[in-house]
Amino acid sequence: MLNTTPEAQTLKRKRQFQKRLENFGVYTILVLVAILSIYPFLWTLRTSFSTSGGIFEFPPSLIPTDPSFKNFLTVTEIVPILRQALNSLIICFFGVVGAIIVAALGAYPLAKMKFWGRDAIFYALIATLVLPNEAGLIVNFITVSRLGLLATDIGQYAAVILPAFGSVANVFLMRQAYLGIPTELLEAARIDGASELRIWWSIMLPLTMPTIAAVSILQFVAFWNSFLWAFIVMRDRNLYPLSAGMLDLSGAFATNTRAVSAGAVIMMIPILIVFLFFQRYFMRGLEGAVKG
Amino acid sequence: MIETSFDRKRGERGRVLRDTIIAYIFMLPMLVVKVLFTFWPIIFGTLLAFATVNIGKGFSLEFVGLKNFEELFGFGSFAGRGPDRDFWYGLTNSLKYILVVPFIQFLSIGLAMLVNRTIPLIGLFRTAFYVPVVTSFSVVGLMWQWMYNQYGPINFILTSLGLMDAKNPSNILNNPFLALWAIMFVTLWKGLGYYMVLYLAGLQTIDRSLEEAAVIDGANRWQVFWHITIPGLRPTILVCSLLSTISAIKVFEEIFTMTAGGPAGSTYTAMFFIYNKSFGDYRFGYAAAAGLVVAVVSMFFAFINFRLTRGNDNA
Repeated sequence: MLNTTPEAQTLKRKRQFQKRLENFGVYTILVLVAILSIYPFLWTLRTSFSTSGGIFEFPPSLIPTDPSFKNFLTVTEIVPILRQALNSLIICFFGVVGAIIVAALGAYPLAKMKFWGRDAIFYALIATLVLPNEAGLIVNFITVSRLGLLATDIGQYAAVILPAFGSVANVFLMRQAYLGIPTELLEAARIDGASELRIWWSIMLPLTMPTIAAVSILQFVAFWNSFLWAFIVMRDRNLYPLSAGMLDLSGAFATNTRAVSAGAVIMMIPILIVFLFFQRYFMRGLEGAVKG
Repeated sequence: MIETSFDRKRGERGRVLRDTIIAYIFMLPMLVVKVLFTFWPIIFGTLLAFATVNIGKGFSLEFVGLKNFEELFGFGSFAGRGPDRDFWYGLTNSLKYILVVPFIQFLSIGLAMLVNRTIPLIGLFRTAFYVPVVTSFSVVGLMWQWMYNQYGPINFILTSLGLMDAKNPSNILNNPFLALWAIMFVTLWKGLGYYMVLYLAGLQTIDRSLEEAAVIDGANRWQVFWHITIPGLRPTILVCSLLSTISAIKVFEEIFTMTAGGPAGSTYTAMFFIYNKSFGDYRFGYAAAAGLVVAVVSMFFAFINFRLTRGNDNA
């Protein structure tokens, strides 16, 4: 209120105008990029509900013609997509739980205990991030075959899940979370004679829940989306997770775009729901994984 | 004095021994999976490169020395045949793919700066930009095949802009000169949100007062960006461009779900070669040798990338 001279007021108005102009520019770019990001999804959604008219036409339309769930029924008839959805859920459930157990247990001593070989193990974990692993799929395929996992259905699920447990990112995220817990808390419990397992279970785990949530979400998305390994390992389309099933569906019924797009929608909806609900944890995990 | 210190030392050692045992029990599951599915592939994958694998006989190895490399490079017993053209063609395309890296990095830095402000609806935009990142390539590949369809939305835009003949539009993915670029665009589309989030995290570590001080000293936007924002982002740029360079050389899922190497081999990449040799032809040893060459090449480019983004500390 000090600057009430006319010059100051015009300057202020000019600044405000500039600010508005800038915001307008920012929003224009943001809207354009958002359209680019979302459009393919809207197109797919529209096609999955359309039951008549052209699929590809100029100009493209986003309003479904004669909308119904018919394409979704068709896709359940031509491929075992419900079974595949169940497979995805099984793989995600055991995959997430297993990955959490492995990482939560493994990271605890690395963060909070003194023991022989700690630095060696820590640096070995870091080394795996840079060492060449281009033949990883080949060797893992030989390994799971030799372990006899490909002979049974349950074994094939295990073969799909197990290699992902080796994620270093999960271990580093958990280690980071443990490091954030004050050591005095541990020392007090140790003096009281609590066993390490008990300390881990009743003190450490509850305090690292936000990180466990972040790791769970990251792992869920990773398991839900990965298709190549399952596609290589599994021989039966009834065992495929949805992601690998999508390749199968699009390969076998490429001409039935409506049914394939319905399949794609079925595949995407759960992941979008999980992402929208747990976005905060997801971002936190992502940033932490790269920093670690 | 000496005795007590000795006793304490012994007590300490006893505790460390006990802790060591407990620590390894905690780490046992992690170590087993790491050894089996991370360390073993690195060691065994390297061995495989010098062997042929008998799939029928329980994957038994027969060591053949440098034969796999001789075949790749076309020397020794393969001197007459010349280098494996498929492999070198694929590797060339993989290296060409690195061109996507500066585009992804610049655009995601720009996007991060745009969303790094508190204006209404900004959360919604960030979410929208991130949706492609959480979508599987098995769906992304399909959607973009539809986008690039002869009468699909991309061609609608291209024909409207007069960049393509409206009467006879053609699918870009069927064009040997454009297919690889079209797939690079998909990589960009899917990666933008990912790097945006990382840069956003990087931007938020930059001290705001530095920028304000520069503005008071009369620096314009470009100067603030170049002398404060970019140096502040340097660690993030280093990590992001490294990640992006390595995944460009190893590009596979985009190719696998969209063109399978075609048309006329124009999108055939090094990792696609490795996949084909291993799970198409079941030549595990040969594929592993190719993998080793790709590993050396990507380490070389990772090193170059490191030198380029590390910056000059004296400046």
